[in-house]
Amino acid sequence: MSTKAATRKRSRAEVEAEKPVLSSEDEFEIPEINGDEDSSDDSDFTAGDEDSDEEEEFSSGAEEEDEDEEIDSDEIPSEDETSPKENDVANGDASDDEETEPADNVKVVTGADGNPRYIYPEIEPVYDSDDTDAEETNTIGNIPLEYYENYPHIGYDINGKRIMRPAAGKALDTLLDSIELPKGWTGLVDKNSGAALNLSEEELEIVKKLQRSEITDDGFDPYPDMVEWFSSKVEQMPLSSAPEPKRRFVPSKHEQKRIMKIVRGIREGRILPHRPQAEASQEPEFYDIWADDAPPKPDHVMNIPAPKLPPPTHDESYNPPPEYLPNEKEKKEWEEQDPEDRDKNYLPRTHKALRLVPGFNGFIGERFERCLDLYLAPRVRRNKLNIDPASLLPKLPSPDDLKPFPTTCATIYRGHEGRVRSVSADPTGVWVATGGDDGTIRVWEILTGRQVWKLKVSSDEAVDSVTWRPTPEGRILAAACGNEILLVVPPIFDFEEENQGKEILSAGYGYAANRQGKKEAPGTWSKPDAGLEEEGVVVTITVRKTVKYIAWHRRGDYLVTVSPEDVRKAVCIHRVSTHLSQTPFKEKSVTKGIAQRVQFHPSKPLLFVATKRYIKIYDLAKAELSKTLKPGARWISSIDIHPQGDNLIVGSYDKRLLWHDLDLSTKPYRTLRYHDKGIRAVSFHRGGFPLFCSSSDDGTVQVFHGRIYSDLMENALIVPLKVLKGHKITSHLGVLDVDWHPKQPWLFSAGADGTARLWN
Amino acid sequence: MGKIKKKGVAGNARNFITRTQAVRKLQISLPDFRRLCIFKGIYPREPRNKKKANKGSTAPVTFYYTKDIQYLLHEPVLQKFREHKTFSKKLSKALGRGDFSDAKRLEELHKPRIKLDHIIKERYPAFTDAIRDLDDALSTVFLFANLPSNRDIPPKTIETCARLANEFQHYIIRKHALKKSFLSIKGIYYQATIQGQDVLWLVPYKFAQSVPRDVDFRIMLTFLDFYTTLLGFVMFRLYTLEGLVYPPKFDKKMDEMGAGLRAFSLESKKVGELENGANGEVVVRKDVSKQLETLGEKIREIEEKGEEQEDTSVVPATEEGEKVNEGLDRFTAIPSKDGATTDILEQPTEDLGGEGKTSNMFSEWTVYLSRETPREPLEFLLRSFGCKRIGWDAVLGEGSFTRDDRDPSITLQIVDRPPQVGLPPMPAGSEAQEVNAGRGKVMGRLYAQPQYIWDCVNAGRVLRPDSYAQGAELPPHLSPWVKANDAEYDPTAPVEDDGESEEEEEEEEEDVQMLENGEKNGVEAEDSEEEEWGGMNTELAGEGKEDSEEEEEEEEEEGGVALHESDAESADDEELEQLQHQRELEAEAKGVTYKDEKKSKKSDAKKKLDKEKKQREDEVERQKMMMTKKKRKLYERMEYGNKKKQDEKERLEGKRRKIEREKKKGKN
Repeated sequence: MSTKAATRKRSRAEVEAEKPVLSSEDEFEIPEINGDEDSSDDSDFTAGDEDSDEEEEFSSGAEEEDEDEEIDSDEIPSEDETSPKENDVANGDASDDEETEPADNVKVVTGADGNPRYIYPEIEPVYDSDDTDAEETNTIGNIPLEYYENYPHIGYDINGKRIMRPAAGKALDTLLDSIELPKGWTGLVDKNSGAALNLSEEELEIVKKLQRSEITDDGFDPYPDMVEWFSSKVEQMPLSSAPEPKRRFVPSKHEQKRIMKIVRGIREGRILPHRPQAEASQEPEFYDIWADDAPPKPDHVMNIPAPKLPPPTHDESYNPPPEYLPNEKEKKEWEEQDPEDRDKNYLPRTHKALRLVPGFNGFIGERFERCLDLYLAPRVRRNKLNIDPASLLPKLPSPDDLKPFPTTCATIYRGHEGRVRSVSADPTGVWVATGGDDGTIRVWEILTGRQVWKLKVSSDEAVDSVTWRPTPEGRILAAACGNEILLVVPPIFDFEEENQGKEILSAGYGYAANRQGKKEAPGTWSKPDAGLEEEGVVVTITVRKTVKYIAWHRRGDYLVTVSPEDVRKAVCIHRVSTHLSQTPFKEKSVTKGIAQRVQFHPSKPLLFVATKRYIKIYDLAKAELSKTLKPGARWISSIDIHPQGDNLIVGSYDKRLLWHDLDLSTKPYRTLRYHDKGIRAVSFHRGGFPLFCSSSDDGTVQVFHGRIYSDLMENALIVPLKVLKGHKITSHLGVLDVDWHPKQPWLFSAGADGTARLWN
Repeated sequence: MGKIKKKGVAGNARNFITRTQAVRKLQISLPDFRRLCIFKGIYPREPRNKKKANKGSTAPVTFYYTKDIQYLLHEPVLQKFREHKTFSKKLSKALGRGDFSDAKRLEELHKPRIKLDHIIKERYPAFTDAIRDLDDALSTVFLFANLPSNRDIPPKTIETCARLANEFQHYIIRKHALKKSFLSIKGIYYQATIQGQDVLWLVPYKFAQSVPRDVDFRIMLTFLDFYTTLLGFVMFRLYTLEGLVYPPKFDKKMDEMGAGLRAFSLESKKVGELENGANGEVVVRKDVSKQLETLGEKIREIEEKGEEQEDTSVVPATEEGEKVNEGLDRFTAIPSKDGATTDILEQPTEDLGGEGKTSNMFSEWTVYLSRETPREPLEFLLRSFGCKRIGWDAVLGEGSFTRDDRDPSITLQIVDRPPQVGLPPMPAGSEAQEVNAGRGKVMGRLYAQPQYIWDCVNAGRVLRPDSYAQGAELPPHLSPWVKANDAEYDPTAPVEDDGESEEEEEEEEEDVQMLENGEKNGVEAEDSEEEEWGGMNTELAGEGKEDSEEEEEEEEEEGGVALHESDAESADDEELEQLQHQRELEAEAKGVTYKDEKKSKKSDAKKKLDKEKKQREDEVERQKMMMTKKKRKLYERMEYGNKKKQDEKERLEGKRRKIEREKKKGKN
């Protein structure tokens, strides 16, 4: 008998033997159900029920008992094992004895042919029977059972005896069966017995488990506790008794092969076992690297060689001239300085003899610094100008060549109370008119400074602007006070002149009357009241808002006024000969800002209007905007046009004086910033001298030489000449207005300190 | 219309690369990158527009030229760095395993060695390029030659440096290339002209150097690596051009005995050797080495003999070897018999007149160095200028011409100690001196302090030794590189010590105490006022006085008012002018009593000068008004620089005057 069969048998026996164990476990969990069935455990569990306090103890006791049972059940197969063996031995003996003599339990009968016939006893179909096929008792083979339907038997057993059909129930039974299916019913008929094939309790359990995809074996633990075989604990016995493999102590053939390969290489000289280090040093360490006499490196912009250290100076000497030695103060200063701030890393010292010279402390540090500089300091190419700085200065004509120009204050005109707002020189060059905050217009004799005439126009409003009519005949003075413009013929001239002026002014009265009622004019021309008329005022023009500035046309027929407060009709042109006022621009077309100043072009029909930022030039003949200048100033205060008409100066409150060349660009040609405060007024000389000036709130008037060449290609020459100081600054205001003498290089200025001055 | 230019594809944005980018591109560590930069001479740049170069960022970063970095990508040294990385890994592994024999084997056989030959050729394609860049190399090598070895600096490095330094000095001596030298408080500066290039280097005094803590010797050694290689190649080339064998023979024994320069002996290449060089190199080499061995001994023998005899030349024969062949041969045209004229070529002539004389300035001398003098620089200097016989005390080391300080052949003795008083001078070679040896002066020779040699060298001629006598107060030692020019102070030029300037100074000194002298007060007041006003108005002040005499009364009135007003700042210039005038008048009235004619004249002249100065300043101010802002700034910068120089000059001159005056006073 083979061992294999034995083990299989054993496993089967185990399965069988475990059954009671399982049942007992079931009992433990649900004792009520199965308690009656197994009487052996009954007593235990009743006890457990009775004494609930000692349940634990009991349960453990029950477990112990289970274990006992298990052991018992284990023992069962071993016992069983022995018995079949014995049987087997008996069988074997029997088979062995078959040829010689039949065994004891064999009946010998004489067969039909007369020969003895051995009849063996029925083999008991027990579990551990060796014949596994013996279960199939029906020997009909693979024939459908229906064939036997008409017979009382359903087949034959191994001995050829009929197997009788089990008694079938009555029709009622089958009906009942069909209504209430018994447990384990499959609807199949057992081939061997002919009875209904029903599944047993265990088989159903297994099917259920399979359905739940559980392991069918009862008591199989899929997650057992791991046994750590290989731990730090040294075991007494080896885990495996496998003998040491051979490869552990026999030299490797493969290695042998590789070694032999190297050995062969060494023998043949292919491999040098210790490559001599001399191999590298065999070639000379130094050789003539420049033997090819290559040309030097060509200079490249990006190649910046490191600058050489400067050679030492006298003060680095060990025995310098005594003047190089620092005194106590310098020494202290040097010592107090941060080492990085010092311009030299040594203090000059003197030594009487060379043997007294100590070592220099910072030598390594200095060398190290140099090393760092060489590889860490960014290098830049810097062009060094080696020229005399004086050659950079522009060649300016000396002030002596540019003479004459005003240099000193010659006359002071005193009398105004409060600021002098405006100053204007008479075209004949004898009188000068001023207007001030005290509401008076005054006329002075230029040379003596004597006040010859005075007119109190208003008690509360200032005279903002006074201007003489530019033509020599008819001495007419235009003055702006509040929203009124007064055209005055001061009674200081001889009768003829005075009359001439009055005639010119009063010629337009008829026209004004004719035009009345047509349309509302921006200005109303009227006769002044009697008091004023006596004083010499001929006409007053009343406009809507305060007039800040008046400018005459060169022929003296027109005058233009600005009233910045009147946004819609800021600029008005008044015609003297017809007593008419009009606004030259359609509403709002002129000013995107507030109009500051207006000027007529000295020769062409152009009108210059300065707003806060821009200067717009209007062509009056075509009635269109011809050009806009952009000086770039924040707030333009004043403008003036060169008498030749091609250049323009602009003064601004942001301290700048801008020179525009009208032929060139809308941007300024020169920007001069020499004032400390905002510029109030600028003015060109109109009498043939190439001079212009600017006055500012810093109390100074600056005089420039501004020569324009007839050659268009040549730029204007501008030379600063003189700063005239004299006006005092009163409440942040300095010189408010300037005007040139019509013929002489003399300058009039009106200051906030209540004086007007003549400079020559 | 032109095509719209894309940002960041050309110009500054492309030309420059930040350091981080460079390191990343090369895939090396930062220290390796630094080393590479040092070797290759790559330096950071300053882009003209940093913002553009750094992609709009203004963070402070270091920029490199992109092409420099691009070239580095193919650098063999870079490859070596990588090899070294793997090697160091292997080594540390072996050491970690405790496998020391393996580590040793690795270290010996597989350590990658960096060769810098190609870099030197690349950085200096022509030999003159290399010489131009020798300054730093020499200074560093001379410094390391004088350092002690420590943990950071291996002794072999120092040995190499010392060897290179000596070889270089030998070359300079042989070529008489030294031009100038200067004793500074830092060390000794030397300047030599090699192949038409000026090379300036600094040698520290022989003292233990104090090593600052913040010095990173790894960087210094990286530089030194490069410099020693460079110097090696340069020396090879120089020696070869001179027809000498490089490296020169080095006698270790002599060196250990402190022979310094004498431990080396130059030898010229032999014709035979040159011929044989092609076929039997090995053989020849052996022969030569043998020869050399014997040669050294022979030389020593000769030297020993030389010491015994007195007047024989003991200089090794090699030093004077080619003297005969050195000069140019004179070509004389041989007239043909038929009398036809031949062309006579221009021939270069050696300038023996000045140069040759200077370079052999000390050739006639026998010099003895006392034991307190620095031997190395003196020996180098004397030998560079032709002196062959230099003896020194035994304390100073081996290799001396004579050790006997009473040798009668000695013409000059360099001493650096004060004279011993009370000892009579002794005749040379007399018996009596044996008794008090080395104490008194020996007759028949000059005594001079070491500075004498330096001043002779810098002057280019032999100076009178009077002022350099033993114990005498030395004349100041001046730097030979400072050229006298107008802008800078020249200590050699006499300073004009006129009375006026003296007075000025006195004034300066005494400006603290107020003098009661009215006239002086007046002057001072005037000065201050003028300064306050500045600009154009001073002119006005002068003229206004004359022109507006009519208004004077009125003004006076006005002036009074103005003074009472609180706003004194804006006072009229006329008023100020008037005030000043009055003050002057008062001062005059007071001062007449004691002021003499001369003084008033002087003050008048001074006033006039001041006025002129003011006018000049006004003029400049006016011109500056018309300059563009850029030009004005440039002008102001230049003026600033000039003024600084001028101030320095004036400061030094003032000091000198003071010193001279004190001296005078002391004499009186």
